[in-house]
Amino acid sequence: MDLGPERPICKRCVLPHSPPDIVLDAEGVCSICRQEEARQSRSDDPPLLETDFVRLLQKHRGKGTHDCLVMCSGGKDSTAALYYMKRRYRMNPLAFMFDHGFEQQDAIDNVRRAADALGVDLLFYRTDAVRGLFRKMVVSGSRAVLCHPCSIWYMSLTFEMAARFDIPLIIAGWTKGQSARPGVMTRCACNVDAPEYRSMGEATKAFLKTLRDDPQYRDFPSSMEEAVARARKRHHATVLSPHWFLDQAAEDYVEVIRREVGWRPVAESYPAGSTNCSLNFLSVWNSLRHFGYTHYHVEMAKMVRQGLMTREEALRALEVNFGDETLARVLERLEPPAK
Amino acid sequence: MTVAGLSAFYHDSAACVAGNGGLLVAAQEERLDRVKGSAAFPGRALDACLQAAGITIMDVDEIAFYEKPFLKFERMLADHLRAFPFSYASFRRTMPAWLGERLVLPLVLRRNLGWERPVRFVTHHLAHAASAFLVSPFEEAAVLTVDGVGEWTTTAWGIGRGTSIEIREEIRYPDSLGLLYTAVTTWLGFEANRGEGKVMALGGFGRPVLLDRLRQVAGLRPDGSFRLDQSFFRFERGGVMWSPRFEREFGPPRVPGSDLGERYLDMAASLQALLEEAMLALARHVHERTGLRRLCMAGGVALNCAANGRILEETPFQEVFVQPAAGDAGAALGAAAVIRHCVHGLPREVVMRDAFLGPEYPVSRMRRALAARGLPTTEVPPEEMQRRVADRIASGAVVGWFQGRMEFGPRALGHRSILADPRNPAMKDILNARVKHREPFRPYGASVLAEETGAWFERDTESPFMLFAVRVRPEQRSRVPSALHVDGTCRHQTVTPESDPLYHGLIRQFHGLTGVPMVINTSFNDNNEPIVCTPEDAVACFLKNDLDVLALGPFLVEKGPPETASP
Ligand SMILES: [Zn+2]
Repeated sequence: MDLGPERPICKRCVLPHSPPDIVLDAEGVCSICRQEEARQSRSDDPPLLETDFVRLLQKHRGKGTHDCLVMCSGGKDSTAALYYMKRRYRMNPLAFMFDHGFEQQDAIDNVRRAADALGVDLLFYRTDAVRGLFRKMVVSGSRAVLCHPCSIWYMSLTFEMAARFDIPLIIAGWTKGQSARPGVMTRCACNVDAPEYRSMGEATKAFLKTLRDDPQYRDFPSSMEEAVARARKRHHATVLSPHWFLDQAAEDYVEVIRREVGWRPVAESYPAGSTNCSLNFLSVWNSLRHFGYTHYHVEMAKMVRQGLMTREEALRALEVNFGDETLARVLERLEPPAK
Repeated sequence: MTVAGLSAFYHDSAACVAGNGGLLVAAQEERLDRVKGSAAFPGRALDACLQAAGITIMDVDEIAFYEKPFLKFERMLADHLRAFPFSYASFRRTMPAWLGERLVLPLVLRRNLGWERPVRFVTHHLAHAASAFLVSPFEEAAVLTVDGVGEWTTTAWGIGRGTSIEIREEIRYPDSLGLLYTAVTTWLGFEANRGEGKVMALGGFGRPVLLDRLRQVAGLRPDGSFRLDQSFFRFERGGVMWSPRFEREFGPPRVPGSDLGERYLDMAASLQALLEEAMLALARHVHERTGLRRLCMAGGVALNCAANGRILEETPFQEVFVQPAAGDAGAALGAAAVIRHCVHGLPREVVMRDAFLGPEYPVSRMRRALAARGLPTTEVPPEEMQRRVADRIASGAVVGWFQGRMEFGPRALGHRSILADPRNPAMKDILNARVKHREPFRPYGASVLAEETGAWFERDTESPFMLFAVRVRPEQRSRVPSALHVDGTCRHQTVTPESDPLYHGLIRQFHGLTGVPMVINTSFNDNNEPIVCTPEDAVACFLKNDLDVLALGPFLVEKGPPETASP
């Protein structure tokens, strides 16, 4: 697998030298770390407290047949979120899993087992509808990140489900590395305007623009903002993640969900220890090839800076753990089903 | 039943979560919001307590709020207060409750916590008294609360029996030892509400030659009650707290930062002597009226170690329990205890034998905190940790010691501590110069093996909270110069293997190496910062200051090469 030339990596976080977005200085520290350094000494954002989260939950508790919709991927973070909503906060969640055809069976089993163990209703939705979009993206040779349109789609669908079932609260398993502040919540986890996403984001935008001429995807939202704005017109739902409010690291809750809901890591996923879909391999390969890093690098770099993860842990998790055969297998599944 | 107790808006806000089965977690807001003496709504402290208890605010049945008339209203209510009759008054004739607060707090709780369930208010003296008696080891005891310096209401005493507390008598503003102490503190050129501890230390350097005159100013009576001669003070107006008459009598005030001349040292000594005299008289009076052998103390003045030491030695009370968070922070615990035990009649389950009521952090988080700052994460087994740290202390190192649950109250007691060698006469200056940046006249406390206390101190009583200054045996004094106050006393903490096996083992190692069963123990912080709370705080303080060694849970980090090779 050819990923281009080796790039020097920031001495503090895990981001590589990748101009123009990320530049390492003479000391080997990246521009994002430098910028963060200046920001931290300036502002003093009040922390998000669990009591804040509970106060928000109280507003919606017991409303409707389900008072929250939990986005489940079968990964540790979203499984823990589902567990917390049911057991810790005693809400009445509807678990929602979306499969675009590339979810791994282990991940689906995780969600099923968790829903069973917790006694919550599960809405499982599988569709082929976006396969063409992914294929188009790969064929076009775009530098865009596959996960971006996918998450736009997933988020739109989630809002759609919340509207359909009249659920006021959407719960995601986003970690502190994925989120930042309440303002970012509305953008749904990734701040695509952040400097480390600039080139990736532009590539995605450019690709989404090309969809306007495509009869099948003409209506696809051009950005997460647009997806959220469209959804808000129909139904207002607040999007929150319990992880933002809790003083716990992943290894603390992984133990709990293993024990309580039988959660297991999937056999093969990138980054190591995650539970991502198989299409993700393609997305990772594409980003590494073009930029030398992925959105997982961005997320983990943030966690390293916040002290939620050590640099060594992050580097280990981010090592490429799949090969050409894996990519070939995913590409094969992208082909249109035989007619 | 689970009750959250809150103390807020005065000074040193705090939260406490108390529940069945001995659940008791408490923390001061300053440790979380990193503002020294933070008076903010203790939202972060409450959140930390709940998460440490493994519950959420939904599991809390009632919130108890410590209610205290406060100094801010001083001027507005001055005339009203003047009309207050002096002398001990009954509990029922207590000052009117400040309606404003009662109306506002439920709104604050609703806004911050979405709280719709009962909010209970616990009066000031009751919360203080409960904070000591209800967690004391006594079934029955006299309770004395003497308010902190710079505060309003002043003194109360009563009797605690089982789950009830009865306040018998109280003295109110403006007859306040605290205000007198603060007025003189500011006259001595120190900051009100901050400088009082310095004055106590300074007292050791002067002679109490002004005691007679101060007695008259204070109107001190044999029963320990007092009536300040108001012509010496001007509490109701802005500006300085003393009157022209005070200056005529005692001379001009000291310019802050200028030399501490003899006159000022003598005043500090006289003031401390007066406070001790008043405390002794009060304690004797309380003993006379109750006939009880045991005493519980709370309130800010109960943090005056010198006075406590004398009460223990010179009054008929045989056992004295002072709750380590004796000030406003502790009243959060007291308020929760009043609701659980006095109001709902639940049995007392917790005896506070240590001050480790705060949150603790997992090893995983400590590892990350170190790695995030590029420090090594070598885990060391407890015996090796004790041996190596003792060894480094004995060879002159200054050690940051971070273990287990955070202390509740103003003292670090071996969980968030800086440790050093008391044998080294220069150690006080070294600590002052490198880490603590304190005035040179302030003494350092020490942690001593409980089983060795008798051989080193003139009084062999347990003192787990470092709240008594006790005389070191004269023949031992030259061996621990840096733990010694100028008057030959030492604020000591007795450490038992039961209360803190790791810390006890460390001091035992040090004892084995040096023949001295104690180490200097001062709080793990920079002078003007709150004591460290999280592993990240500890690592930052370690890096910022000139500490040689950091023991963070099982991790041992050493800066630079060891002074001497390990044996
Ligand atoms: Zn960096």
